[in-house]
Amino acid sequence: MTQLLVFNITNGLIIGAFYVLMAIGLSLILNLSNVINFAHGGFLVVGGYIAYTLEPYLGFWGALIASPFLTAIIGLAVESFLISRVYSRDPLYSLLLTFGLAFILEDGTRSIWGANGKPFTVPAFLSQPLSNEFFFITGYRLFMVAVVTIAVALLFILLRFTRAGIRIRAGTLDLETVSAVGINVRALRSLNFAVGIFLAGLSGVLAGGQLGLEPTMGAGLLMPSFVAIIVGGVGSLAGTLVGGLLIGVASGVTAVFFPAASEAVIYVLMAVVLLVRPRGLFGEEGMLT
Amino acid sequence: MKEPPKQGIDRRLIALAAIWAALLLAPAWMPLIGGYTALGTRVLVLGLAAMSLNFLLGFTGVLSFGHAAWFGLGAYGCGLILKYVALSTPLGVLAGTLLGGVMGGLLGALIVRRRGVYFAMVTIAFGQVFYYVAFQWSSLTGGDDGLRPFYRQPLHLGFANVDILNNATSFYYFVLFCFALAVAAMAFILRSPFGRTMVAIRENERRARFLGIPIEFHIWIAFTLSCFFVAYAGTLYALVNNFADPRGLHYSQSGDFVMMAVMGGMRSFWGPLLGAVVFVVLQDYVSSITINWQIYIGIMFVVVVLFFPRGILGAIRRRVAA
Amino acid sequence: MSLLQVKSVSKHFGSLVAVNNISMTVEPGELRAIIGPNGAGKTTFFNLITGFFRPTAGRILFEGQDVTDLLPARRVWRGIARTFQVTEVFPELTVRENLRIAVEAASGLRLRAWLSQSDDEKIRARVRELIDMGGLAAKADRQVGELSHGDQRASEIMMALALKPRLLLLDEPTAGMGDQETYEITQLIRRLHRDSKLTIVLIEHDMRVVFHLADRIMVLDQGKFLAEGTPAEIAANKAVQTAYLGQAA
Repeated sequence: MTQLLVFNITNGLIIGAFYVLMAIGLSLILNLSNVINFAHGGFLVVGGYIAYTLEPYLGFWGALIASPFLTAIIGLAVESFLISRVYSRDPLYSLLLTFGLAFILEDGTRSIWGANGKPFTVPAFLSQPLSNEFFFITGYRLFMVAVVTIAVALLFILLRFTRAGIRIRAGTLDLETVSAVGINVRALRSLNFAVGIFLAGLSGVLAGGQLGLEPTMGAGLLMPSFVAIIVGGVGSLAGTLVGGLLIGVASGVTAVFFPAASEAVIYVLMAVVLLVRPRGLFGEEGMLT
Repeated sequence: MKEPPKQGIDRRLIALAAIWAALLLAPAWMPLIGGYTALGTRVLVLGLAAMSLNFLLGFTGVLSFGHAAWFGLGAYGCGLILKYVALSTPLGVLAGTLLGGVMGGLLGALIVRRRGVYFAMVTIAFGQVFYYVAFQWSSLTGGDDGLRPFYRQPLHLGFANVDILNNATSFYYFVLFCFALAVAAMAFILRSPFGRTMVAIRENERRARFLGIPIEFHIWIAFTLSCFFVAYAGTLYALVNNFADPRGLHYSQSGDFVMMAVMGGMRSFWGPLLGAVVFVVLQDYVSSITINWQIYIGIMFVVVVLFFPRGILGAIRRRVAA
Repeated sequence: MSLLQVKSVSKHFGSLVAVNNISMTVEPGELRAIIGPNGAGKTTFFNLITGFFRPTAGRILFEGQDVTDLLPARRVWRGIARTFQVTEVFPELTVRENLRIAVEAASGLRLRAWLSQSDDEKIRARVRELIDMGGLAAKADRQVGELSHGDQRASEIMMALALKPRLLLLDEPTAGMGDQETYEITQLIRRLHRDSKLTIVLIEHDMRVVFHLADRIMVLDQGKFLAEGTPAEIAANKAVQTAYLGQAA
């Protein structure tokens, strides 16, 4: 019994790692620019498909590296031309805008690559399970965890030690002061968005390898990201990290006892958090009002 | 609330009369332009749903992205009654409305403390819970196939039996009647002190708070009312289709409502209905030409959001006023 | 009994001490001014009194009752009203509509779905009264957002008055105004103080306004209490002059 539990917790952590990658990009964009990027799922899909298109030329590894960058460039263009126009307005408009963009991205993907799913081939050695005992830990899943860990670590280094990263963090806390000090907030937001989309694109490549590619897959992966952010606490990247892992584990463990509810359990978790600690695990306390 | 100039009143009355004339005579003029009565019925129902959302969004300034949850609950409530309990259309409508409205009220209480993007995110998540429940609890809800079969029952009024199942025109007028009831209720509320307080909260929450208005309580009431209205629309939707399915609960459905409200015009009362017309017509028309109709709606929506924040009706109003 | 007693309040934001152990007592009918260089903590002090922030230390008593833990909306009901540094009104509604909402909120009618004829008439009458008191009759049906600074401020003050407060807090009422508007607002405040016997506490930078209106003045500097007294005493106070050195008076 314990062994089964250990299996499933480990399995859950692996799932959670993936959620973390998605959610952290989303959280990054939310924290600095107060934008709920509904199109995040769409960028994930685009990232996956770009990798699929590049694979014949660059191979798996080349596609893995190139695709997120290309996706980030698309994201940058979208942010500069469209999203930046609504920053000064009610946050409602950026939400609506990204929602409309999600539509466009999903359908755009469908029209370019077709509505049917596409397979995304992964190097053979990764598909092997690690051992008979840990049969569910295929090399690919371990690889995913490794990629996520590297990405998160790099993000951490970026935010901690580079000038741009420090500015992003400062901007998250107090954008007015940052701009008053003479920093180009426009450029900062663009950069931040691009980083977030880079992570989305990377998620897309990884997801493609695991699940195959489909135009509609973005939407399904977006929701758990939202929940991860809510559970972890809006405004905190560490919270998102913990939130993502938590829901992954919850999902994995529930799969043992209640397979049908394994997807719904993350929402139950969210409801519990909302009742007991509405600001999330690491969220910030509001003022008296 | 204010004393508007006489000309303004006249203009408004004329517009109102025109709208109702068009609605009442729809079965007559729709076929002339290539439409059909059932399409009109659908537009009415979705329009009502969008207007219910707008009650919250346009007049209180609060965005819920999960209204499909209550819409879907309304549909399932109605369907379950008709299928398992009693063959009575009014009972189905009542049950569905209560189910969606009460659930909305209960869950709404959990989240009114936070607002803005956070609130919107949480409402989506709520909607998804119900989606999964409907999907998985197939013994009750029919799962992916949806809840079926059930049929809208003829209405037994004291003096006549109205066959709304087979007679598309009768059904249209039934739905229009229900629509009128809801719309009248909404208009009444919006004109009251409560409605004005809602507008105050939208205009300047801080000032409203410092006028002694308990913001969260008000928002909760507005939210709950809006859930009741949209659940009501959901029951009608179940009657339109004679089935209820999980897709009606999905957040993309919520998104459709938001699109209709925004495209038509968030700040106006009738805007969302216009948005529903545009949306349904576009969907019907474009999807017969190309499978990728979503791109066109998406682009149109993006254009509206960027350049016409007051929606189509808002843009028209600006023209007229100028 | 004093109307307002602020006892040794402090407010820390992390390591930043915005308000440091300040006490103040206001008697009914007074017109008190709070002055001080920028960053002195005056607005934060107001925010503590109105409940926007909770003090890190200290207590606030209004009419003898401890209100330190009450939410802003509740304090409004107790009788404390305020205006803000940046005028907070409902910009896309007319003056009349703004006041109507305030009056309805004050009379406890905001939840009603339906108003009787007599209630409606009473509300309209009160709104008219406030419009006239504020000198806004000519602009009553224009959108507040489109009015001049002075008229917006007057609207905001009348909205606060609709609540029938016993204590009115005005945060820099003449901020950003030219001479003429400053004069008009000063006259308005004077009128209200005299006719409605309101107790008023105001934050101001414009010394002409302060010396024209105030019975007593309290000076803050960098979150700390600096001096208190009649206008004459404050004008002669060396410490106050030093604090303001370099600042436009």
